Amino acid sequence: MTVGLRLDEAVWGLLHRALELYRDDPRATGHLRHQLARLEQPLRVAVAGPWRAGKSTLLNALLGEEVAPVAGADGSGVFTWYEDGPQPRATAYSAGHPPQELAMAKSATGLRVDLVGWRTGELRDIVVRWPTRALRQVTLVDTPAVAGPGEQGRSPVMERVFRDADAVLYLTRDGRGSDLRALESGRESLVGQAAPVNAIMVLSRTDETGGGKIDALLTARQLARRQSRDPRVTATCVTAVACSGLIGLAGRVLSEADHAALARLAAVPRPELEVHLLSADRFLRGELPVDTQVRAGLLDRLGLFGVRLATTLVRTGCDTRAALSAELIRRSGLTELRESVNRFFVDRRETLKSRSALAAVEALLRADPSPGAAELLGAVERILAGAHEFRELRLLAALRDTRLGFDADVAAEARRLVGGDGVGLAARLGVEHDASAQRLWEVAADAQWRWRDRAEDPLLRLAQRRGAQVVVRSCEGMLAELAEGGR
Amino acid sequence: MAGIWLDVLDEIARTCRDHGRGDLLQAVRRKRAQLLDPTLRVLVVGEPNQGKSQLVNAIVNAPVCPVGDGRTTVLPTVVQHADVPSVAVVQAPPATPGRSAGAALPGAVERTPVPVDRIADGVAGTLGRRPGGGPAYVEIGLPRALLGAGLVLVDTPGSDEVGAPGAAASVAALARADAVLLVTDSTRELSVAELNVLLHVTRSHPNVAVVQTKIDLVSDWRAVAERNRRHLAEAGVPAALIPVSAALRLRAAATDDRTLNAESGFPALIARLQRDLAGKSDVLARAAVGLTARTVVEQLAAPLRAELESQRVEEQSGPMARLHAAQREVEELRRCSVRWQNTLNDEMADLLSDLEYDLRDRTRQILREVDEAFDSADPLVAWDAFQEWLARSLTEAAEANHEWLVQRCDFVARRVAANFARYGYDVLPPWSLTVPEDLADRLPEMERPTIDRFTASQKVITGMKGSYGGLLMFGLALTLAGMPMINPVSIGAGALFGGKSIRDESRQLLRRRQATVKTAVQRHVDDFFVRVVKDCRDAARQVQRMLRDHFAALTDELQEGIIQSLRTAKQAADSDAAARDQRQREIKLKMTRLAALYEQAQQLTAGRPAAVPLEPRA
Repeated sequence: MTVGLRLDEAVWGLLHRALELYRDDPRATGHLRHQLARLEQPLRVAVAGPWRAGKSTLLNALLGEEVAPVAGADGSGVFTWYEDGPQPRATAYSAGHPPQELAMAKSATGLRVDLVGWRTGELRDIVVRWPTRALRQVTLVDTPAVAGPGEQGRSPVMERVFRDADAVLYLTRDGRGSDLRALESGRESLVGQAAPVNAIMVLSRTDETGGGKIDALLTARQLARRQSRDPRVTATCVTAVACSGLIGLAGRVLSEADHAALARLAAVPRPELEVHLLSADRFLRGELPVDTQVRAGLLDRLGLFGVRLATTLVRTGCDTRAALSAELIRRSGLTELRESVNRFFVDRRETLKSRSALAAVEALLRADPSPGAAELLGAVERILAGAHEFRELRLLAALRDTRLGFDADVAAEARRLVGGDGVGLAARLGVEHDASAQRLWEVAADAQWRWRDRAEDPLLRLAQRRGAQVVVRSCEGMLAELAEGGR
Repeated sequence: MAGIWLDVLDEIARTCRDHGRGDLLQAVRRKRAQLLDPTLRVLVVGEPNQGKSQLVNAIVNAPVCPVGDGRTTVLPTVVQHADVPSVAVVQAPPATPGRSAGAALPGAVERTPVPVDRIADGVAGTLGRRPGGGPAYVEIGLPRALLGAGLVLVDTPGSDEVGAPGAAASVAALARADAVLLVTDSTRELSVAELNVLLHVTRSHPNVAVVQTKIDLVSDWRAVAERNRRHLAEAGVPAALIPVSAALRLRAAATDDRTLNAESGFPALIARLQRDLAGKSDVLARAAVGLTARTVVEQLAAPLRAELESQRVEEQSGPMARLHAAQREVEELRRCSVRWQNTLNDEMADLLSDLEYDLRDRTRQILREVDEAFDSADPLVAWDAFQEWLARSLTEAAEANHEWLVQRCDFVARRVAANFARYGYDVLPPWSLTVPEDLADRLPEMERPTIDRFTASQKVITGMKGSYGGLLMFGLALTLAGMPMINPVSIGAGALFGGKSIRDESRQLLRRRQATVKTAVQRHVDDFFVRVVKDCRDAARQVQRMLRDHFAALTDELQEGIIQSLRTAKQAADSDAAARDQRQREIKLKMTRLAALYEQAQQLTAGRPAAVPLEPRA
């Protein structure tokens, strides 16, 4: 019955049915109304990861300003929500007190929120409203450190992340086993199995890779590429990206004064400078044509590796602030990360939000079974099984860990067609982004015919034919879209 | 020099054997062999990507362990002295069940030489290792003076699992290491997992140091080091913290820059290693023996202490407790016997008075009815019917009374038995008192009382007597009127008077008869009462006697059982106390010996407080 409906409409209907079912339970209806409201709100992307993985730095880099972390809130279990808003505001929510405005102080590159008078563990959430374009489409969530799995083998932070966020940026320094285990805990419920949460693995603090050698970022990028081919990683993450939050943030907040100082440093003959750049201590202590205070500031913002990289860049031609800033951002991997976020999260936001709403309804139905709950659970399952968006997601997951057994190029095409490289028409069809409607139609029709043949090929395995059917359905969807646009 | 600690170690081994702990004995023997070996085996552990391999490289000043670019050490790497550089992958045969990998024969290992330029593949586990083989490691020989002095560095694969560094290979086993270096980098503080590893390691190793690497990379490494030292102190980990920078050291080696080398922090680390190496046969060995003694003594003392503890617990539940319980039981039985006797006497007295009253009540009732009946009825007419009724009523009364007696006796028996409730089983006497079948026959038969009848002749005489007066009275009066003495009027009057006197006489006779019968019935009922009460008393007494005998016997029986158990409990308590004393003395003796041994071992290290590596240097 929901197959004919669009996914968001089906989810909207389901939420209203659940509201009807729980109309006598104020807590449940409040929860469901919250879910309904979330459908209209920006996508929620949680930045999660173990202790000192660089979560707040990366969040700042994504925002382009130094907002995180909220002072004193680090490590005390508080989720900090960064939302778009007309005025900078910070509100604290705790278990026992009414919401309370927090004092904030503007600094040169961002703001500081003061948590005076709050005890550790008292606060649950801090919502920071901050006028910035970066938050127009996504709400970023800074999460406490994910500790190792507890006695039950599950981390409470990750559980809350999977409950409250639509997508996850999982930061890790080296993608070790415990990080993968933390991500795997998100696939236990019905919804979790049918449509696992979308997660991007971010190799963070890449400027420290290999002891901060000048090619650290490149090495990290190679590592990320290797990770994104590793079946253990792709089983839980849509992709792996290397990103140095520190360099990216430094690039985004780089001032003219910084650039000038870096330029003066770069003017020092290279062998002489290298001796000073051997260690952070030497850099601060040495005789250089820049004031020690300024050097300390640079070191703080860029790190030793950042200073090495920036001076090299200045020497090799980035002679304006804008150029240096752009190059730093490019090299930090921030651009790639934002592209990935756009492609995997923002473009699919309706699907991801629907997924979260379904998961919330399922959790509610399971926690509070009332007569009629079983029927609604059935409806959840029908939506999960029927919605083409989820089929695409499942096919993508299957393609990632190569269990379907397609050849590499066929698998790549299938992934592209079902939106694994981006959900735009051009991205799906693999044509240049300014292609004419005529050309798009031709390519789409061609792909449809080829995949229809595959779907009916008796030599292929059943799972492969099913996968091919999903691809065909995606092609038909594209053709329908083109036909609508053409009218 | 080695003599003292070796003696102590042998003493420890002997103690292990005395206590029958073969496992500990083996561990001690292994330790002994290891301490006698002049090389210093340094295990480098830590989480992945902390710069372990780089640290090893920097110590020996040669790029022996592959580093960087996401390369991960898969096989443990042993770096030791050799005259010419050499590399080999050493693999033990697959561990067969029943024999652990560590116990594999030394001759059975398989050595595969690896070209020096392909170390990386060897360490990554892709070269020279047979798939399906046992645990393997890479052995690298280098001509270095430091190594030549006997230093052996073991680089382990990174692990974030608590307490399992390089668990796969026996070559990296903690037990065989003389010193442990935990590597953590300066970009963050020690994590909880690392502190746990440290706590685990310091339990078995006297010589643990935390090496904080990559101090060239961040400017606030001093603050991090300070915080790390604080973490170590808070966690109670006796490990020194040495901040180093491998990058600076390698650079210094390349440019032969002494100040840079000093800046790298390595001189301190190497000095420490050299000191450990030099002191291995003395200071380190003393500390190791001290620690071994502690471990062994703890392990040996734990079961002894547990036994002592359990004995203390047993004292409360054991034979002594049973003895006390038996004594309490005797007391209780004594109280119980007094109680049941009182109950029986009281109840029986109550029973008798109640029964008597009941019977009295019933007979009174009968008498009242008799009185009422004979107020009007003539015993002459009604006697037969009455006698039958009386007999029946009395029988009924007697039966009801007896019935009640039976019930009450039963009740009394139960009341008394209730005193024995705590002894659990059924203590009611085999009950036999019932209402006798022949109760009616045993009652006294009532004889018909002698009753005066009003016979016809008596009636005539009485009539004549009465009529005479009337006749005469009226006859004389009428003579005055000139009538003859005997005239119809006087005859009529005479007849009238005669009739009246007959009636009067007969009524008087009836009264007398009724009174006679009542008296007779009363006497009979009295007889009946006395008889029945006597019966009841007899029966009640009999019951009382029976109950007393029964319960007295029961009490005797119980007492005998309890006394018996008291006696056995006493015996058991006596013998047990003796045995326990004996065992406690043994345990105490053993503990004392262990304490002495521990003391002796600790004196090894206490003798030279300046060189105790257990104390944090910071």
